[in-house]
Amino acid sequence: MLTSAELVWLLAAVAKGDRAAFERLYAATRAKLYGVVLRILRRSDLADEVIQETYLKIWTSAAQFNPALATPITWMVAIARNRAIDLIRKKTEVSIEEESDAMDVAAETSDPLAGRELTEELKRLLACMGKLDGERQRLVLLAYYSGWTREQLAVNFDKPVNTIKTWLRRSLVEIRECLGS
Amino acid sequence: MISDDSLDPQALAAEYVLGTLDPEERARAQMLLDTDTAFAGRVQYWERRLGELQAMVDAVEPPSHVWERLSARLDAQAPSSAIRLPGLAERGGFEPVDDSDVVVDLTRRLRRWRESTMFTGALAAGLAALVIASVLAPDILPERLRPKPRVVEVVKTEVVKSEPSRFVAVLQQDAASPAFILTVDIEGRSLTVRRVAADVPSEKSYELWLVSDRYPAPRSLGVVGDTEFTVDGKLGAYDPATITEATYAVTLEPVGGSPTGIATGPVLWTGKLVQALPGARPSAPRAP
Repeated sequence: MLTSAELVWLLAAVAKGDRAAFERLYAATRAKLYGVVLRILRRSDLADEVIQETYLKIWTSAAQFNPALATPITWMVAIARNRAIDLIRKKTEVSIEEESDAMDVAAETSDPLAGRELTEELKRLLACMGKLDGERQRLVLLAYYSGWTREQLAVNFDKPVNTIKTWLRRSLVEIRECLGS
Repeated sequence: MISDDSLDPQALAAEYVLGTLDPEERARAQMLLDTDTAFAGRVQYWERRLGELQAMVDAVEPPSHVWERLSARLDAQAPSSAIRLPGLAERGGFEPVDDSDVVVDLTRRLRRWRESTMFTGALAAGLAALVIASVLAPDILPERLRPKPRVVEVVKTEVVKSEPSRFVAVLQQDAASPAFILTVDIEGRSLTVRRVAADVPSEKSYELWLVSDRYPAPRSLGVVGDTEFTVDGKLGAYDPATITEATYAVTLEPVGGSPTGIATGPVLWTGKLVQALPGARPSAPRAP
């Protein structure tokens, strides 16, 4: 992937309506965003749709990106995750069974950190999450990566929903206190 | 249901970003996001912080038709420069509605309406895929497919199929000086050591140890190589609980590692594993 500074530059160009910059931004970030939403949606057709919507939103909202408040990738991932979670919640509401008819999650490499940018911020976050007990770490990460509801987490952890809710909130407070502002 | 603690904007913002709010709370958060700048700031904080977790997610190439469709949708739109002018965009709102979702300054209601149209489309596609699958390849449909299925179980089962647990330890003296990053794949019992800041010692070797109260003495996991990454499979002898609960330490030893199998040199860095990606199946809660 391009560096964060290059992505900032591309977003600035996209904000001015530069289609070529948008194409480069897409090329540089599509696989990461697709990986993120695929984990949540677990169906390639839904992920395709969410990715299109995400990039349309990026195209129209690039001017709102503020490098003081986010990095390009965290900003884009937030848009993508929000879309994916909105979609999967609607699916659940109408009780539709969906099966991964075509999706086969690619085998993952053995080292998730190999060749990846390990930012200071990520190290800090991991250090703070490391202070939570093991079960709560897993809870927060499952919620983040898989987009699970409290009810799904409750089933998975075999705990009442209210316990899950309390754990989540307490964990997030502890992470915030650890990270500081 | 709005309980007392759901009124706490801090918690609401954090859980909104995490994605665990119930639909009513989520709608409330989205409303606040548009109207309350302090709340929006809290959401940005969490998006920035938790967003770092994206680094752990494997990139997956989307199919090429995604770009083709996206590109076609952009082509179908008015020039983006016009869209950015509120006046033009508002006038655009009176034009017949087309497939474009991209008029920035549409009224909120119209935007919501369009989003719901998108969801309906996706739902329809999902139903179609399900029907086609049931006709063409009933085998791939789970037997648990039933009229009022529990989505919870489906998701759980699918996750079981495909995701390894990953643990990471930052070996450091203090938070400001990480020296090595240890990554462990529990299922594969494999270990990767990434050199972050430690120098290559001259005429000495760094040796990695597993320190567990299940063993009377630290167990050697081998010498850390001079390259950025050292991959090793020496975790095969240990069970997952031992691996996840152990402390990992690096000592300075003679070249090639401690000749006796017992750590002799000073402990330079230590760390414990943090679960960085949730595994397929949460392990049973640990005994107290």
